[in-house]
Parts: sequence; C-alpha cells; structure tokens
Amino acid sequence: MCDWCEKYGDGYERWYFNPANYARRLYKIRREEAEASGAEANPQAAGGMAFVGSDFLEARERGDTAEVERMKQQLEGAMWLTHFGQVITLEEALKITDIMYPISLITCACRRSMEGLPDEENFTCMGMGAGMYKWERWPDTYRGGVHFLTPDEAKEVLSKLNKRGLVHSIYTFGTPYLAGLCNCDYPDCAAIRTVIDLGIKVLWKGHYVAKIDPELCNGCASCVHRCQFRALSFIPSKNKAYIDQFQCFGCGLCATECDQEAITLVERASLPALANVW
Amino acid sequence: MLPTITVNDEKCKEPTSCRKCLLICPTHVFGLGTDVGPQKFREIDPSHFIVRAVRLDKCSGCMDCVNICPQNAIQVSFNGGDAR
Repeated sequence: MCDWCEKYGDGYERWYFNPANYARRLYKIRREEAEASGAEANPQAAGGMAFVGSDFLEARERGDTAEVERMKQQLEGAMWLTHFGQVITLEEALKITDIMYPISLITCACRRSMEGLPDEENFTCMGMGAGMYKWERWPDTYRGGVHFLTPDEAKEVLSKLNKRGLVHSIYTFGTPYLAGLCNCDYPDCAAIRTVIDLGIKVLWKGHYVAKIDPELCNGCASCVHRCQFRALSFIPSKNKAYIDQFQCFGCGLCATECDQEAITLVERASLPALANVW
Repeated sequence: MLPTITVNDEKCKEPTSCRKCLLICPTHVFGLGTDVGPQKFREIDPSHFIVRAVRLDKCSGCMDCVNICPQNAIQVSFNGGDAR
C-alpha cells in the first residue's frame, strides 16, 4: 500500500481523496526564516528550482555512494515532511476539483525559473486552499496574479493541459496538507527532473501502471511523445509501443492519447512486483 | 565530469528580459533566481534577478551559453582548466 494512503487515507481509497488533508486547520503561515534565507549562499535558492546543491553532484561524480545515499535520505526525509508530490491521473485530478475549494490557476514557478517564461505563457499550475486568498502577500511567488476557478472551469483547464501533454500531480505544503495541483513536464519541472535525473523521490509514482495490449496497438506512435518519465518507447521491428512498467509513473497520458484504446491503467497494488515500487 | 560555471552578475543585468542562456542550453542547466529571496507585499525589481548554473551534471561543455551571452558574463571550465 502507498505509505501516504496508509498514514493519511483514513478509509478513503486514496489519501488525496480524504477531505481532511485539504482542511483549513492544516494550513500554516509560511515561516519568515525560510523565505529570507540567503540566496547567494544557497545555490538552490539562487538557481530557483534545484532540490540539491553541487555538493550532492560532486559526491555522485566521485562515486561516493555512501555519501550520496546519506544526502538522498536526508533530503527525502525533509521533503516528505514539508513539500513533495505524487503523480495522479486526469480522472483523479478532476475528482479533486470537487473536494477542494478554492482552486486557482497560477503561473508555474519551475518554468519561470528554468526558462524565465513570461507570465502570460505560464498559467499551468493550480494552487488550492486557504492560502490562495492571501496570494498578494507574495507577489513574486504568484507572479502574474491568480485566477480563481469554479470546479467546472478547473476541470476544463485540467483537460486542456492534459491534451497538451502535461503530467498532473498533487503536492503537500506541510504534509499532509495538499495545496498544489501541478501540471508538469520534463526537463523544467524541478520534481520530475530531480526524481528522473538524480533518483531523489520528491515525486512519488501514482497508483496505476500503464499496460499495452499488443493486439490493439497499431503502431501509430502517438503515445510516445506523451511520456515524461522515459518509460515509453517504440519497437520498430514489431511496430508497437513498449512500456517499461518499472519506470512507469502511472500518469495515464499515454492512455488518454491512444485512440485504439490499446493502453490501460492497471492498479499498481494488483502487481506483486510493482505494488511497492513508488 | 562536472564543469565550473560562473555568471558575472555585474555584467548580467536583466536576465528576465534576455533569457538567451536559459533558452539555448540544450540540457537546461541554468536557473533563474533572485539575490534577495521572496519579498512580502512587493514585487522584486528585475535588477535583483540572477542566473546560476544548477544542473551541473547535465552540462556537456558545448559552450553555447558562453557564445550567446551578449554581455560575456558566463564562463565554463572543465577540470579546473582555463575558463573560456
């Protein structure tokens, strides 16, 4: 079982379907100290969106596996208490819009940092909950402003972003408080990049695993560009798509694009070897 | 092999409107941050934005960033050798 469902699910099918994890009482005022930490001294803050500094990359470079493992565990431990995500499907994201209020469309901090993307091109992120009413406190965090959405508008936006090929994931802000619904892609999403490039689990895999029916796959390859996790490739000699289920994050983007309905999402829990691969 | 990449903030004045290095880097090594951190109740002036190389593990050493920077503000070196 997913650790977070076990800890915070309280009988709901998923921890992010448990309304208590969106409750006002979990919302905490952000600390001044963290906000003011010296950017110059801290490459993460200066560069914006890297979870690790060069000391991690250097330890990795010199093959110091013990040190890499130690730093990785330390970072994961800290992130899991404060701010981490889990991949969800479009269907699950749509369901969340009926649990949580308010929902607002905001600019993506990762793409702002990695591309300097202008605000008008960057409204792909969703903030939720009490904190959104106070967005004017932090004009740069919410650069470009905040569009409050009705649940129906939020569903429409999510469906469009899915069509564009962006992965949905849900984020904690002081675990288990859920307040972010991100729509992301590689390489500019800090979380996807950190988990894929460095193996640091700031983004957990979702509750599903994609599976291809080779009988139904007609080799059109329209799914291939949808995978942001390097799980989906193409076998030219067979003219079929191929999914590495151990690498699959279960976002379902490949499945929503397949017009042959050759890709289905299987419950991770139903696959013994994958049930605990998060 | 990890490079040493430096950005001269004195030369790089308004990275938010320039963005050339951020966009040309084939592996998206650079990030944009500020030298003041988040500011309560006010927007940060563009002059406080700075560029840093953060994904050092993905730098191939192509020097596209060095060559495109209109201010010659970026230096990349490998093995501690001479920066270009």
